[in-house]
Amino acid sequence: MYKLFLTFRYLISKWVAVFSILSVWLCVAMVLIVFSVMDGFLDNIKQHSRGLLGDIIIDNSTLQGFPYYEEFSAYLKEKMPEEIDVVTPVIYSYGILREPVSSFTKPVRIVAIDFDSYCAVNNFRESLYYDRYYPDTTSLGLVQQPVAGIDMKGNSILPERLEAAHREYLKNRDEDKVDHTDIAEPDYRSPHGVGGFEQHFGLPGYEGNPLPGIIIGTDVVFSRDRNGVYNRNILDRGAEIVLTILPLTSRGTIAENPIPVAMRNIDDSRTKVYEIDKICVYVDFKLFQEYLSMGPLERVDGSFTEPRASQLLVSLKDGKDYNKALPKIEEVWNEFLGTLAGNVTRYEADLLSGVGVDTWETRQQAFIQAVEKEKVLVTILFGIISVVAIVLIGVVFYMIVLQKTRDIGIIKSLGATSVGVAMIFIMYGAIIGVIGGILGILTGTTVVANINEIQSWLAAFNPSLQVWSPEVYTFDRIPSVVKPSVIAAVFLMAVLTSTLGALVPAMKAAWVWPVKTLRYE
Amino acid sequence: MVLARATKLHKTYSLGKTKVNVLRGVNLDVQQGEMLAITGASGCGKSTLLHILGALDKPDQGTVSLGGEDLFAASTWRRDAIRNKDVGFVFQFYHLLPEFNVLENVLMPRLVGTSMTKWFASSRSARAKAAEILDTVGLKDRLKHRPKELSGGERQRVAIARAIMNEPRFLLADEPTGNLDAKMGKGIMECLRGLNRNGQTIVLVTHDPNIANQADRQVRLVDGRIEA
Ligand SMILES: Nc1ncnc2c1ncn2[C@@H]1O[C@H](COP(=O)(O)OP(=O)(O)OP(=O)(O)O)[C@@H](O)[C@H]1O
Ligand SMILES: [Mg+2]
Repeated sequence: MYKLFLTFRYLISKWVAVFSILSVWLCVAMVLIVFSVMDGFLDNIKQHSRGLLGDIIIDNSTLQGFPYYEEFSAYLKEKMPEEIDVVTPVIYSYGILREPVSSFTKPVRIVAIDFDSYCAVNNFRESLYYDRYYPDTTSLGLVQQPVAGIDMKGNSILPERLEAAHREYLKNRDEDKVDHTDIAEPDYRSPHGVGGFEQHFGLPGYEGNPLPGIIIGTDVVFSRDRNGVYNRNILDRGAEIVLTILPLTSRGTIAENPIPVAMRNIDDSRTKVYEIDKICVYVDFKLFQEYLSMGPLERVDGSFTEPRASQLLVSLKDGKDYNKALPKIEEVWNEFLGTLAGNVTRYEADLLSGVGVDTWETRQQAFIQAVEKEKVLVTILFGIISVVAIVLIGVVFYMIVLQKTRDIGIIKSLGATSVGVAMIFIMYGAIIGVIGGILGILTGTTVVANINEIQSWLAAFNPSLQVWSPEVYTFDRIPSVVKPSVIAAVFLMAVLTSTLGALVPAMKAAWVWPVKTLRYE
Repeated sequence: MVLARATKLHKTYSLGKTKVNVLRGVNLDVQQGEMLAITGASGCGKSTLLHILGALDKPDQGTVSLGGEDLFAASTWRRDAIRNKDVGFVFQFYHLLPEFNVLENVLMPRLVGTSMTKWFASSRSARAKAAEILDTVGLKDRLKHRPKELSGGERQRVAIARAIMNEPRFLLADEPTGNLDAKMGKGIMECLRGLNRNGQTIVLVTHDPNIANQADRQVRLVDGRIEA
């Protein structure tokens, strides 16, 4: 009983204990913040790196792509009907995006997709902005620009199809899932670019000649204001935009002069992976296959070249493991090559021989591993920090023990055992760990929860304090989730290290030989 | 009746290369209920002997039996328990715990000897008992005071109260008046004599003949032995 009594009394009467609590507090807060951000970063990378890929990726990493992709898709589905869900072809190329009114230009990465099957293979659809607020109004086919009108009461209204879609959205909206960095203004109709201030009195409608739709990576054109909200005013939905492309032949030579393609901004995509969002634009597969001269071309002898794609993305049926499916798909690919043998040209054979099959994970491995290694590094660093905390607590407690040697002698003369005396200091350490741990966790979680606000506050204060750069860290926001498991682990560590730090001084206290200390004043 | 018996106690301290033979075969009987004074020159080993009698220190040779039980044949745990239950110490420099008030200091032996669960059951009676003892030593109004707010004589009375809290069979006082002026020393001696009248066995160490004369019996420690 005296142990607890003494522990608490020393706790409140020894102000040096405040230092130990402070050190535990700061350590815990720091560890929690850094670890949570690292962990969140890694989770984000794992989650998002799958992002716009499929479970399985088949390509030869050239700009020319590879032929017979359609035949292979059909062949694969036929051979593995149990496993394969969707196979979708993608073409990658590069181009220049130009906004005719402001003459804004930017180099972009063109991703030509079959919209529906691409959305079935990955989460692309969830990254779309207008598709969320006006569901099912985004497509890559020919479109005109929607223009708002004014109703009898003077309110701005959109064409019925858009109004209906928005009503649908409002009906199904889940308040918890609303991303407030998305919404530019409370009335987000005008910033959606469909109304604007150049009012069209009368009926809403569609204007301009029909042009193919293009989905632009959000960060390609739009920038954020101080609060992280995108300003979409600069480019209305359906506004005309020109994409200039460079077609390539199967031999990798430039086929024609650059082609400007007039298109309409139909939506923008924010995968939250900055590397993707700042450069990619998405266009229709069939159309751009042709534009990029990857479609069937007539040869001089009257025969046609095989259409090509840059990549096939495969998604597996629910519950199928991509690591198990991978060797099978590789096998099917080799079989498929066998069926083609002899019927392909030399260039085609070259392109086909370079084709490899991978899971999305191995594709992103280098990236993921780098971060995982960083996490290990950080963990080791924390180990060292913990040692520092242990030593600090050890020193503080040693001081207390030295200061209290006489009292320890007195307590022993009253019949306290050596173990009991040691327990006083061990409990003392544990309590400091608990208090410091709780304070640290409170501080740490608060900081992590508001880390983006703190960051922008600091950046507003002095731009050089902008430590999180989306270019470097891929994600546009600092991860700000603290996992309960991390909290538990950090708390346990805090209590453990504090107890450990108190161990040596506690042993020293246990060793006190009472007669020596009682002989003098 | 003999309460405590020390036989052939030897104790040697080594200071670097030289050895100091402090006790060289001490034989001593302490009778139940008596007040015994041990006198001797400064540095002759009185304190050492007292500590050994109270199981606070170990002799190099020899035995001490308390109520028939051999102290140094028993386990460390048992010795700790004996120190808690059967022995009360009063030191020259009071040795109160500065963080605790008078009442808490007096309660300390009881706290040390009681487990947490038992403490909750018995704390009320323990407090009452501590207050009662403090009343008998004349400190009834000072329960909440810290030791540093008390005079030397008052502190020593708190120390005595603490020593008898667990009703020990054996009260050991090492120069209890050594740090006090004559008047305060007198008060302490009256206090101890009062306890002795009520049957408390007391062993008192002093080099002051006036104090020693107030004891029932005196022995003198000379050259590491008890002089008859
Ligand atoms: N830990 C120790 N190491 C070495 N020598 C010691 C130690 N403790 C005590 N001594 C020596 O042992 C001798 C006896 O000490 P002790 O304190 O028992 O004497 P004392 O009779 O109580 O003296 P005093 O009257 O001054 O209190 C002294 O000479 C002292 O210097
Ligand atoms: Mg002495």
